[in-house]
Amino acid sequence: MNTNHIVENLKKEIENFRSQIKAEKVGRVLEIFDGIAKVSGLSDIKSSEMVTFSNGETGVVLNLEEDAVGVIIFGDFSKIKEGDEVKATGRILEVPVSDNILGRVVNAIGLPIDGRGAIRANKSYPIEKVAPGVVTRLSVSEPVATGIKVIDAIIPVGRGQRELIIGDRQTGKTALAIDAILNQKGQNMICVYVSISQKDSKLRKIEARLEEGGAMDYTVIVSAGASEAAALSYIAPYTGVAIAEYFMDQGKDVLIIYDDLSKHAVAYREISLLLRRPPGREAYPGDVFYLHSRLLERACRRNEKYGGGSITAFPIIETQAGDITAYIPTNVISITDGQIFLETDLFYKGIRPAVNVGSSVSRVGSGAQIKAMKKVAGTLKLDLAQFRELEAFSQFGSDLDDATKRQLERGQRAVEVLKQLQYAPVRMEHQVVTLYALTEGFMDDVAVEKIKEFEQGLTDYSERQAKVFFKEIIEKKMWSEKGEEELKKVIRDFKKSFIK
Amino acid sequence: MTTISNNNIARAIYLAVQGKNYAEQSLIFSKVIQFLFRRRLLSKAPDILLHLNKVINDEEGRIVAKISSRDNLNEKIKKELAHTMTKRYSAKEVVLLEVLDEKLLGGFKVEVKDEVIDLTIKNKIRKLQEYLTSSA
Repeated sequence: MNTNHIVENLKKEIENFRSQIKAEKVGRVLEIFDGIAKVSGLSDIKSSEMVTFSNGETGVVLNLEEDAVGVIIFGDFSKIKEGDEVKATGRILEVPVSDNILGRVVNAIGLPIDGRGAIRANKSYPIEKVAPGVVTRLSVSEPVATGIKVIDAIIPVGRGQRELIIGDRQTGKTALAIDAILNQKGQNMICVYVSISQKDSKLRKIEARLEEGGAMDYTVIVSAGASEAAALSYIAPYTGVAIAEYFMDQGKDVLIIYDDLSKHAVAYREISLLLRRPPGREAYPGDVFYLHSRLLERACRRNEKYGGGSITAFPIIETQAGDITAYIPTNVISITDGQIFLETDLFYKGIRPAVNVGSSVSRVGSGAQIKAMKKVAGTLKLDLAQFRELEAFSQFGSDLDDATKRQLERGQRAVEVLKQLQYAPVRMEHQVVTLYALTEGFMDDVAVEKIKEFEQGLTDYSERQAKVFFKEIIEKKMWSEKGEEELKKVIRDFKKSFIK
Repeated sequence: MTTISNNNIARAIYLAVQGKNYAEQSLIFSKVIQFLFRRRLLSKAPDILLHLNKVINDEEGRIVAKISSRDNLNEKIKKELAHTMTKRYSAKEVVLLEVLDEKLLGGFKVEVKDEVIDLTIKNKIRKLQEYLTSSA
C-alpha cells in the first residue's frame, strides 16, 4: 500500500465523518479512593448507568445521593484526580457480544485478554436485566449430561436448572465444573466459565485444560482476576450471564459456571462498605441475597414460543470448615434448585469426586433424567445411605447376618463404581451399563479392588458386543427386552473372561 | 439522628428569609449562624452558600451559563446565545460568564448546571480521532 493510497483513504474517512452536536451531562470528581469515586452533578443519571472519566476509564453508577453519585471504576483509578470531568453515557452497563466470542477469554467488561486480538462484536447486551417471566418458561425436562457418574445417577441436573456446588477449599469443586464443560462436546451446549477473583495461574491452567480437551470451541471464559479491582469481580457474573443470554436468545442451550460466588459476595461487601452502605450480618450489605437471587434467576429454560434455549447455572460456593450454615452458603442454597456437597473427609479417603450423597440433592433434576438412568439408579441413593449406616454399625461387631453382609459388599462396590478420575467424564450409555451391572448384582463377586478394571473392560467390551442395547440407549433413551437380554449375555461373557 | 444535607439547609434559609425585611433577615441570619455553630456545620458554610446561590437562581428563573472560548465572543453571538439559553431552559434571565481558554483552539463551549454543549475545535478533533481509530 503506497502513501498516496493511505492519504486517499484517510481523506475518504474524514469526508464521511459527521460530528453530532448534543448536550452532555457532565459531573466533577469530588473524592476518589479505592476504586470508588464520588461525583457531583450528573443530576439525571440512572442507577447502573455507565460513565466515562477524562482519562478514558469507565465506571458505573451505584449510589444515587442528593448532591453526588457513587461510581465504581473499572480499571486504573490512580490517574483520576479530584475535579476531573465525568461524562454520563446514557447507557446502562453493557457488554459486546457475538458468536466470535466463543473460544476466547474476556475480562469483566467483555474485552479480550487472551492476546488474540479484538473480538468483532455486532451487538451489546445489558449486564443487568430482569429475569424471564413465568409465561416464557418451561419446566426442566431435558438432562445436562455432566459425565460424572455420581451426579448423573444420583443428583441429576436438567437444562435450565441452578445446581450449587458447595464445599471446602481443595475438595474438587472447580474440577467437577470443568469436567462438566469437557463432557459437553457434541451435546449442543455452549459453556461460559466465570472466574471471580481467582488466581491467574489457576485460570491459565483451566484454559489450557479446556483447550487440550477441545472444549474451548464451545466455551467462553470471563475472568476478573484477584489482582483486579473489586468492581470487576462484582460485575463479572453479570457479564457472564449476559453472554449466556445472547446465545440463549438464539435458541441455544448454555451452561454457565460461577467460580465462585463466595468471592463475589466478598467483592460486593468491599464495594458496599466503601460506598458507606450500612453493613449487616458478617458485614455484608442488606441486599446481598438479592445480589445472587437476581443473578441466578436469569438461569431458565424458555418455551418454544419465546425462542427456546436455556441457561443452566452451576454456582460454586466455598465453605469454611464445612460450615454450610454461614450467611452466603445458606442464601445460595435457598436460591438454587439443589446442591452438590463436597466433603474434605471423603476427599482424603480417596472417594473422588468427594460428593456427600446424603447431603446433596437435586430438586428438579429427576424429571430430566433419561428413563434408562432412572431405572438403574433408582435405588442407588437409598442403598448408599443404608450402606453408610450399616458401615458405621459394622465397626462395633463382626457377627453380621448374610443380608447385611450382602448389603455392605454391594455398598462397597457402589462407592468404588462412583469414584472417577479428574478430567475423565463418562458417557451416559457407559454409565448406564456400569450401573446396570452393579444394581443387577453382576459385580457382587468381583473383588472391590478390581472394580475399576472390571468397569473399564466391561464398557469397552459391551460397546463392541451389545450394539442393540447401545443403539436403544442413544436413540430411545431406554432399553427394550431384547436389548436387556443382549446386555446380560454380554456382561456374563465378559465376566467369564475377566474372572479367568 | 437524621442528617440534614447542605442543600436542605440552603433551601430552609431561602424559605425563611423570603418576603422578610432587612431587620428580620438579619435576625434570621444570626440564628442560622448559631444553628450552624451548634450543629458543628460552620465548616460547611461555603458549600451551603453555593447551594443557596443555586436555590435562589432556580427560584427566580435565573440561569448561569459559563461560556468558554479561545477568543472574546462578539455581542451578536452573546445575544443569540442568551436568547437560545432562555428558550432551552425556560429561564427568565440568563447570566453569561465568559472564560477564555487558548487550548480550545476555536469555537466555544457552553456549561449550564451539569449540562455541557461542546462546540469547540478541540472537541471536534477528539471526536474525529475516536471515529478514525474505531473505524480502523
